[in-house]
Amino acid sequence: MALLRADDLSKRFGDIHAVDRVSFEVSGGEIYGLLGPNGAGKTTTISLVCGLLKPDSGNVVVSGSNFWSDPQAARRIMGVVPQELAIYEELSGRENLEFWGRIAGLSLRDARSRAGELLEALSLVDRGSDAVKKYSGGMRRRVNLGCALMHRPRLLLLDEPTVGIDPHARANILNFIRELVADGAAVLYTTHYLEEAETLCHRIGIIDHGRLLAEGTLADLQERLGEAQLFVIEGVLAGAEPDTWAGFAEKFRVIQKTDRQLTVAALGQRDPAQCLKELLALPVRVENVTLKRPSLNDTFLQLTGRELRE
Amino acid sequence: MTPLRTLLAKDLRRAWRNPVPWLVSIAVPLLITALIGVAFSPRTGGSGFGKIAFALVDEDDSRLTRMIREALRGDEAGKYLDAQILDRGEAVRRVRNNELAAVVIIPKGFTKDYLRGGKPVALELVKNPAQAIHPAIVEEGLGLLVSALNAIARTLGGDLAEWGAILDGTERFDFQAAGRLLERTGDHLAPAKVYLSPPLVSYREETRANTSRPGPAWSLFAFLLIGMGAMFFLYMADNAMRDLYRELRFHTLERFQTLHEGLLVLLVGKVAFAMAVVVIGAVILFGGGSLVFRFAWRQPLALAVLVLAYALFASGFMGLLAALAGTERRADILNNVIIMVVSLAGGCMFPPQQLPAFMRDHLTPLLPTAWFAGAARAVQDDPASLAWVGAAGRLAGLGVIVLLLATALFRRRLQRGARA
Repeated sequence: MALLRADDLSKRFGDIHAVDRVSFEVSGGEIYGLLGPNGAGKTTTISLVCGLLKPDSGNVVVSGSNFWSDPQAARRIMGVVPQELAIYEELSGRENLEFWGRIAGLSLRDARSRAGELLEALSLVDRGSDAVKKYSGGMRRRVNLGCALMHRPRLLLLDEPTVGIDPHARANILNFIRELVADGAAVLYTTHYLEEAETLCHRIGIIDHGRLLAEGTLADLQERLGEAQLFVIEGVLAGAEPDTWAGFAEKFRVIQKTDRQLTVAALGQRDPAQCLKELLALPVRVENVTLKRPSLNDTFLQLTGRELRE
Repeated sequence: MTPLRTLLAKDLRRAWRNPVPWLVSIAVPLLITALIGVAFSPRTGGSGFGKIAFALVDEDDSRLTRMIREALRGDEAGKYLDAQILDRGEAVRRVRNNELAAVVIIPKGFTKDYLRGGKPVALELVKNPAQAIHPAIVEEGLGLLVSALNAIARTLGGDLAEWGAILDGTERFDFQAAGRLLERTGDHLAPAKVYLSPPLVSYREETRANTSRPGPAWSLFAFLLIGMGAMFFLYMADNAMRDLYRELRFHTLERFQTLHEGLLVLLVGKVAFAMAVVVIGAVILFGGGSLVFRFAWRQPLALAVLVLAYALFASGFMGLLAALAGTERRADILNNVIIMVVSLAGGCMFPPQQLPAFMRDHLTPLLPTAWFAGAARAVQDDPASLAWVGAAGRLAGLGVIVLLLATALFRRRLQRGARA
């Protein structure tokens, strides 16, 4: 049984459809990534799932029960890591952890003991007694994450937990999340970093303009392009109209075109060498052709017509 | 109770780690009290408004004006006045240098003209525009002198000319003539006897022996501290209640909502925090003030009850204002203005008797700042006073009402997604 199920969630803010009939499931031992650009609806989806916002329609089911039928029971299962740091800078890392543990219902003794465990696990033992305002960005992020883990939640909602930190600190946090999942936790993870989604998530949902456009494993999403190879042609492409090139549409599909670059997918199982030969013969001045495997970004590009980084 | 205790402990710890705003709220009233108290308290050797430095330019140089000059140099006048006998040029120069409050000039021929009664006479007054109070006092004093001279002229009539002849005489003083004149003057003054002997209005000066308690019971410092406390406790409560907006800004409120059902405990926790800081502030301000300025609180229990009731009111009131403001920035401006107004109109900054009549009679009695300051001062003046009972009851009652309103309003705002 899925630990979290979102059924047809919708939320409007005035005329804006922030979330539009979004559905997905997350099971124990799984990381489900919600991938989308800023403003796609990722944070609103998390807010709906954790009860910060009430959906206009749709349901959130946590561990088999409707969230709003017993919100406090659902909250006990969940640990939420907000996108922005939600910790007290005047307090130390240990005090922050203990405070949030107490608010989550732990006894003083349990909160102290759990805070010690998490400081160890997050490599913060040496600095645990220092005020958070003296921490680096990565250390703050780790405390922010730790505060959500105090009550040992089975379901973790992580809203871009690695935004704005250096690669080393990011790698530390991602490793820690992998360990949690290995212990059976279910994770809903939002990000706009392709690499994170590709390397961390078991399944990925691509979201844009509040709508879940596609979901599946990385391989599933790559296969949506239908081909195993993409060609990137660089040259003078301003004014070029691939649709008018004889026989082109039967052999290739345009993924993206700019004045300097044309990305196409070869249709069917074809010999790459033959494809290259045909592309070099196109009626444009070609300067370079690169062959590559489809990435998540290409899938995103195909689904939304724009790159994730735009 | 556990979440409430946890929230309160967390907020107090944060305040302890970042004490500057709280220390300012305690240090400023102590400083103001010290400044005003040292300046005006007779116990500290302060002489109230200080001596009034002014110049007397005696261009007349008659026997009468010489008597006035001597009188101004006497011991009694010297307590309040620093009269300097100068020539006109020097006196004006010193006024320009802001060394004198005013210059009084007795023009040449003043005594002769006054005593003869032939033509109107005038004294000249030059006021220093750079000073406010002392020149006004000199002007008032001169007004009194002129009134007295007019009264004498009307009473003595023609005798004045003879007085003039005697006073202006260049030869030896004619005691016989003076004796005759005195007799006549006595006859003129006889109808005024009922007013002058005994005087219709009199005063008696009495110096009481020191009752030698640990410190004098009434103290200007105590009076001032109570007023300053009433104002700065509001600032403390305001700072504490506006922390709700900081919780929004730092997203900790959001995290709280992901862990805990409902906002009520958070709001109640913040009220408890506001009350705690006001009470701690009062202990430091009143306790420390008593030690620093060496006076004793005559009814500490009554004062403590008043402080508790006022803390409840202050927390609720400032919370309500913050909730009404809607954003931290607006609350910052609105609350500051309102604290200043209710403190001023409530008689916190100076005695309520000094306020304009309308404000004193119709507005001040309605203000909780006045209830607190008035009752605390009354108890300090007279330990038997029970004014504090009613005041504490009113403050606590109003406190509960505004707290409920503030809580409901804040809750609504936060549920609707208020932003810092």
